[in-house]
Amino acid sequence: MNALLTIERLQKHFHQRQLFDLQNLTIASAQAYVLTGANGAGKSTLMRVLAGLEPAEVTNARFMDQPVSFFPYSRTMRDAIVYVHQHPVMFSTSVADNIGYGLKMRGVPKRVIAEKVDEAIAWAGIGHLRKSVPAYLSGGEKQRVALARARVLDPKLLLLDEPTANLDGAAREQVIALIPQLVGEGSSVIMACHDRDLIALPGVQRLKLRDGRLELREAHHA
Amino acid sequence: MSLFDAIRDAFALLFSGDAALWQIIWVSLKTSIVGLVVATPLAVLAGYVIATHEFAGRRIVIWLAQAALSLPTVLIGLLLYLMLSRSGPFGSLQWLFTQTGIIAGQVLIVLPVLIAFTLSAVQAADPRLAETAIVHGASKWHVMLTVLHEVRFGVMAAIINGFGRAISEVGCAMMVGGNIAGDTRTITTAIALETSKGEFAQGIALGIVLVAVALAINAAMLLVQGDTRPARDIS
Repeated sequence: MNALLTIERLQKHFHQRQLFDLQNLTIASAQAYVLTGANGAGKSTLMRVLAGLEPAEVTNARFMDQPVSFFPYSRTMRDAIVYVHQHPVMFSTSVADNIGYGLKMRGVPKRVIAEKVDEAIAWAGIGHLRKSVPAYLSGGEKQRVALARARVLDPKLLLLDEPTANLDGAAREQVIALIPQLVGEGSSVIMACHDRDLIALPGVQRLKLRDGRLELREAHHA
Repeated sequence: MSLFDAIRDAFALLFSGDAALWQIIWVSLKTSIVGLVVATPLAVLAGYVIATHEFAGRRIVIWLAQAALSLPTVLIGLLLYLMLSRSGPFGSLQWLFTQTGIIAGQVLIVLPVLIAFTLSAVQAADPRLAETAIVHGASKWHVMLTVLHEVRFGVMAAIINGFGRAISEVGCAMMVGGNIAGDTRTITTAIALETSKGEFAQGIALGIVLVAVALAINAAMLLVQGDTRPARDIS
């Protein structure tokens, strides 16, 4: 297994209460994981810690074979890890500008941004939404725009918080269909969720957060 | 003179191209706009920083900014007068009874309005906006620009309120400017003076200009805002 991220110890406390104390967390390259656990177990908090949005006590972390810091959050990880909220928020520009946002922040030339955005829009099947006002998109459409917005950055690790929550029917299936493609392109994906169809995806490993510890379960195979 | 006669004379005065009248209007617009241009970047930056950063004394700063909203402008004028008078700490600037002095007063008057409104707009913004910007690699500067873009209507409302407060205040302009004809006389100080002399036509003419300016600015804001559909009815 080629490790993308390793953390010797990761502890998170809320005031006096310890939420979790994880030992030897290893995330492999180009591997999908589902992160499960009871409500309040700390799934979303763990995702946010990994995304650098929450402080935590982290010991001996390495990312892409480099020692990294979580506080302040290492630039190497910031450039390679993208987090998508359960209900993704859209900027009040166009769908295309939303997708190109991260590239613009990286100083990528406009011509290259336009090409990558076109490709991401085609990948997510949202060509008809290109000039839509993002505020008026449905939950499923926003989730696909958010996945396209993350994908254009070629992330090494994608953190998806409940990507199919509150979606049903075709919207849910469309989002589920995009996940294996991301892994196939070389991204590792961690999804905090309870969705049985995501858990049952071929090759997905299950991380279960219980009593402040993380258990790894074997992958389902196609 | 009846009210009707005064209004008729006011319109006649406005359309006659009276140089003194238009000079007053120009001084008012110039000092208010320059004051706003100076105060806006400082205040928006301060409002954003106060809204998004934890630091010692933050609650006191918020309390002071909000308390300053209700300070009478004449008190700000008095304090500024003491600062700018010959024996005051800034007397060497020689800003007393000048348009620059009025502009300094306008800056002090609009700063708390802009800070408090920007602070409120940023605090009300969805926290996921900043987080989304961060996780997509935005620098602190770009996170701020992104969030301010998302709350731009709140910031614009702050600027319009600030402009309204600047152009309509009388106490500070009177004390610091001195109401000198052809130099530091503003719309409001002129209205106060002309009304005290019983010259209602010029006062009403200037009042019409104030109302026209307020209508024009709010129309501009509605145009920029674009979508003015009512909120969804969820009843």
